[in-house]
Amino acid sequence: MTWDHTAPRENSNPMEDLRKWIRQELWDQVPVSISVIDRSFHIIEANRCFVNTYGEWRKRPCYEIYKGRAERCENCAAAETFEDGQVRIREETGIVRDGLQTYYLVHMLPLVRPSGELPYIIEMSTDITAYKVLEKEKLEAERLAAVGQTVAGLAHGIKNLLMGLEGGIYVFRSGMQQADSERMVKGWAMLDENIARISTFVKEFLEFAKGRVPKVHLVSPNQIAQQVFDLFEHKAELAGISLRSDFQPNLPYALMDEDGIHTCLVNLVSNALDACEISDKSDRSVVLSTGDEDGVLVFKVSDNGTGMDYEVKKHVFTNFFTTKGSDKGTGLGLLTTKKIVQEHGGRVSYESAEGEGSVFRLQFPRDRLPHLGEEAKSDVFCVTGG
Amino acid sequence: MVSQVGNTATKILIIDDEPHVVTYLETLLQDNGYKTVSAANGREAMEKVKTEKPDLITLDITMPEQSGIRFYRDLKENPESADIPVLVVTAVTGYGGDPTTFENFLKSRRQIPPPDGFFSKPIDQDEFLRAVKELVNQGSQAG
Repeated sequence: MTWDHTAPRENSNPMEDLRKWIRQELWDQVPVSISVIDRSFHIIEANRCFVNTYGEWRKRPCYEIYKGRAERCENCAAAETFEDGQVRIREETGIVRDGLQTYYLVHMLPLVRPSGELPYIIEMSTDITAYKVLEKEKLEAERLAAVGQTVAGLAHGIKNLLMGLEGGIYVFRSGMQQADSERMVKGWAMLDENIARISTFVKEFLEFAKGRVPKVHLVSPNQIAQQVFDLFEHKAELAGISLRSDFQPNLPYALMDEDGIHTCLVNLVSNALDACEISDKSDRSVVLSTGDEDGVLVFKVSDNGTGMDYEVKKHVFTNFFTTKGSDKGTGLGLLTTKKIVQEHGGRVSYESAEGEGSVFRLQFPRDRLPHLGEEAKSDVFCVTGG
Repeated sequence: MVSQVGNTATKILIIDDEPHVVTYLETLLQDNGYKTVSAANGREAMEKVKTEKPDLITLDITMPEQSGIRFYRDLKENPESADIPVLVVTAVTGYGGDPTTFENFLKSRRQIPPPDGFFSKPIDQDEFLRAVKELVNQGSQAG
């Protein structure tokens, strides 16, 4: 658009004209699709970016243009904004374009008359497909890197098992040569135990490798934490370790894979109890806590056990790294935990001081939690986005 | 099988958190004429170094409480124990399973000397016994 701001006009205020010009330019130049919809969800005005992205809009409803649907969307954000006049921001999946799923971030802004009437909503949608594709590629790259680490870790595990088997063979064979039956029994037991360990090892490894499809439901984080607490209460008591819970009351529900989160917490609490068990302190304790910090759901497991020295910290998330001796751990616990947490868009962090204890934290930003699968959607009211 | 009989007074400290490995190395070394003592972690091992005064140490790296590396550093920093030869016996290798990576890492610590030998689990018995014999002989000649 061109505008001769030097040309004098009748009855015109130069500043007002300039503002109009800027608004018009802004309307058409912003790289965001903007439309105005009425209460029948039909588009009554749209900017140039919208036309370039979605084509002809006149007399067409928003759900048809954005999603290719014949009727209004479930959990329609615009309907909610017409209802309560609140601004809404959501991440949505759009139509499939050139074989690719598109994603956009949509802002719903109410246009309210001085009388309070709300006839229109401005929908601003930003195409975030490129970011989403990058995010997926990054996850895939991380997964491939993990495969490499897994192979190296597998070799490490097998070497330990071989050492045990060769030890058993040596002790048994030398017992035979010396006609020492006690030694033969000892050697045979070593062989037996190591073969049992191979079996456990292979099972756990397959469990880890096959992965599982997370089953996402709306769950109570406190309820999962309570189940894990109950599971370990007796064991802790027997070991003389004080296990305590500190759950934030009325913690909102979250869309999570209940079994997955349960596994993560079991791993962390079990590690914390082990760290206490090998500590010689008299007042050993483990605290399992939950909370919400600025829209981030947090599970925390802290212990005052042995803590980790530098060498251990370096290897914490490496497969098959275990400090517990092979009868107590395969070294897959924390790696599995990290995998499950990442599937939920969260992260695992820890602090640890040798001799003082460790704190492990699972942080789940609520806006990054998984969405419900289509088949489960009807079960739950209002589940998408922020 | 190596039929080598060591000095009967020679005492070897086996450090490993894995009982099977301890049994294996104990039996192998005793069959070859060495006395053995064992420890399951770095802290316990340091006590044994003081009370048993071993002539040689076999050391695992990944153990609870205190890693083998930490123990090794402490051992070499103390003038009273710095001369005891150490054979590292571990399943830890470098990323990608490269056995030299970890050995090089240990050697790269300038402030402390590298270990006297490095054995990747499972060990080659003959090579292991040969290394033990050489180190023990070196020690008795020096002493």
